[in-house]
Amino acid sequence: MTLLDQPRGTAETSQQGRFLVELKDVHKRFPGTYALKGVDLAMRHGEIHAIIGENGAGKSTLIKILTGAHKRSSGSILWQGQEVALAAPQEALDLGINAVHQEVVLCEHLTVAANMFLGMEQQRLGLLNERAMVRRSQEILDDLGFRLSAAAPLSALTIGQQQLVATARAAIRGTKLLILDEPTAYLTRAETDQLFALVRRLHSQGVTIAYISHRMEEIFELADRVSVLRDGELVASRVVAETTPEQLIRDMVARSLGEIHHKEDIPFGETLLSVEGLSGPGFSDVSLSVRRGEIVGLYGLIGAGRSEFVECVFGRRRRTAGQVTIGGRALKGVNEAEAIAAGIVLLPESRRDQGLCLNLDVGFNLTLPIFRRLSPRGLIDRRREAEAIGTQMRALDISAAGQQAPTWTLSGGNQQKIVLGKWLNHGADLFIVDEPTVGVDVGTKLQIYRLFAELLRKGAGIIMISSYLPEVYDLSDTLHVFRQGRQVSSYGARGVDHETILADAMGTANKTSNGGKAA
Amino acid sequence: MKDAAPETQEAGLSRAEQRQSRFAFVRSLTLLGLVLLVWLGLSLMTESFMTSANLSNLARQASLWAIIAVGQTFVIITGGIDLSVGAIVGLSSTVVAVLLKAGLPIWLAVFITMGIGPVVGAFHAFGILRMGLPPFIMTLATMTGLRGIGLLLTDGQTIAGLPNAFTAFSRQSFLGIPSLAWMVVLVAVPAYVLLSHSRWGRHLFAVGSNSEAARLSGISISRTIYLAYILSASCAAFVGILTASRISIGVATTGEAWELQSIAAAVIGGASLFGAVGSVPGPLLGSLLLTTINNGANLLNVNPFWQRIITGALIIVIVWLDQLRRAKR
Repeated sequence: MTLLDQPRGTAETSQQGRFLVELKDVHKRFPGTYALKGVDLAMRHGEIHAIIGENGAGKSTLIKILTGAHKRSSGSILWQGQEVALAAPQEALDLGINAVHQEVVLCEHLTVAANMFLGMEQQRLGLLNERAMVRRSQEILDDLGFRLSAAAPLSALTIGQQQLVATARAAIRGTKLLILDEPTAYLTRAETDQLFALVRRLHSQGVTIAYISHRMEEIFELADRVSVLRDGELVASRVVAETTPEQLIRDMVARSLGEIHHKEDIPFGETLLSVEGLSGPGFSDVSLSVRRGEIVGLYGLIGAGRSEFVECVFGRRRRTAGQVTIGGRALKGVNEAEAIAAGIVLLPESRRDQGLCLNLDVGFNLTLPIFRRLSPRGLIDRRREAEAIGTQMRALDISAAGQQAPTWTLSGGNQQKIVLGKWLNHGADLFIVDEPTVGVDVGTKLQIYRLFAELLRKGAGIIMISSYLPEVYDLSDTLHVFRQGRQVSSYGARGVDHETILADAMGTANKTSNGGKAA
Repeated sequence: MKDAAPETQEAGLSRAEQRQSRFAFVRSLTLLGLVLLVWLGLSLMTESFMTSANLSNLARQASLWAIIAVGQTFVIITGGIDLSVGAIVGLSSTVVAVLLKAGLPIWLAVFITMGIGPVVGAFHAFGILRMGLPPFIMTLATMTGLRGIGLLLTDGQTIAGLPNAFTAFSRQSFLGIPSLAWMVVLVAVPAYVLLSHSRWGRHLFAVGSNSEAARLSGISISRTIYLAYILSASCAAFVGILTASRISIGVATTGEAWELQSIAAAVIGGASLFGAVGSVPGPLLGSLLLTTINNGANLLNVNPFWQRIITGALIIVIVWLDQLRRAKR
């Protein structure tokens, strides 16, 4: 009842054409990246429209354009038949476009109720009507079956619960188009069910829903139509009832031969790393080994536990069971320093936050691991430093204005080369790279692959995490597929087709879905 | 129909509510307890502390700091900082003195001087929002610049001979309480309503907590920032006028280092320099504690250099204890 007292415009909307929103030939170019290449997409009034595609296919860019966070480079957007600019978030809000992001964007310091009413607080005599807002929020939460307290501070909630609040929030904002960006990535099954109930409820009231997801079963459970993006283009738009998971997977992974980049043929050496029955928070019972000259790929969807696994190998996360041996020596797994000393390098996914000092210059970042060597008597030897940097920049083919160029001025690919390259000559054996080519253009991608080959030839081993299937598929000598914290299958180099791997990762083969891990 | 909400929900609600309000309450109680403890100690150790003359004096000084600390708290809640408040005190004390010497009626001189608040505050917000300066730098610059304007205006001279009616105000009492302390009430009550019971206050917290979330919720970040800095500067301008009345002269160097006192008072009162945490009672108690320590140290004949060391150590200890408690929660 609490949701039904919203003013609904079903009568008027029926006169405004079939489509709530239409994108026509929308392009988006970023420096170094061509994210959307002429997308035509139309969403009908009141449908649940799933949008799927691999990482880097352009889904996030599409959402950002629809919510006014980014302005499109060209093309037009029609809202109920009228051309709109969508140049600022406020414009999207005014139209009734609300988005729930994968990462919750709410105020942790405020209460649940305050967050639900943020920007549209209820007042009485010019003062906040706290009681009414808490009561109304609690009604909505109870009504939805969310067992949450509206008066609790948001920081007391789990990420999953915060996600539910963010979604419930859209319910009281006169939303016409609700965009859900991988909302279940951090939810438990119970929370996912609650979320779906809410989505269906909003749908029954005429709200149009754009549902971005990696999870095939969710699309078949919820959506009316599904659009598939690949490399910034819309490759298919299908009625869910008339398609199959296999068809959609084919849409997602199909590509031309020119895009295939096989790993160079490098002979394997001795076993470098072996992991036996490793368990920790977010994953359990993982076993694998890495030889010198080998790339071991870890594939899975977001939240599958791959990053947690490698962080545990690296000693950054608690280990609950299992053994890690590198070069015949067992790691105790107590801290990162132990792993680094043993020759393991972890290149995290968010290189901007963890891998680079962005506001310092290129040379600084390149020599970060060898400061000690460049400063034998405590003072940095400027000449040796400049030489070392010059050699590195040539070896890595880094295009920058110079050694003193601030690192943030470089393209994503060149930044990635620094993150990787700074370890090149420093005795590291095992490189763990987490999503090495996210946000990187094709040319730089190739250079990064060549860098891998260089490392392998020097006797290193690589563990590569990637959510971009063609990449792990082509480059890996051994591929392990993760789903919901478990290692579900392992394959030799290109021993199986894309479809099987994607089906393993999505769990469509046996239709069992028990949600992701609790965050 | 909603009365039939599950019982566990009700319990969860009240528990969460209790927990939250208890935390804030306990903090202000601890601080109040600390103030009372220091008072008790001082009244036992000295004869002069618990005299009405001393207490009025203490209340007057605490009042001045309390008002700027309340303004400072608004800015701190947004995640910013206002280093200029001491300089604004100095400027407004000279401006009001100059205007009064020029023969303006008191109400008009006060009214014009109060205009410094909105003008300087708006300038701060403009610099932060439009010119992209960090709050620290923007207000550091005006801290120096405004001091210079005050000195220029008076040619570095002290302006004496202010009207009696003006200087008498700060010595008066009403219902046995110094008029300056009443001024705190005049500022703190509306400030409390604004911060804790108005939509504007809510937006200050939202911007300080997560400005992206605030922006995506349709909150105007710039209006919120303007509000915070204008309030802070206005509190400081008001204190400048009160200070001129209290010391009966206009001196451009008045209020030197008061910005630090106001920040210390806000932080002792539980505000977080990371934003989104703070209250109105907090800085009031914080400035009372700081003033008490200064006053007590004077009465005990503690070397004034030691006073500074004690104040510094106290800030570290109090904020550290608060961090511990937060972490435990």
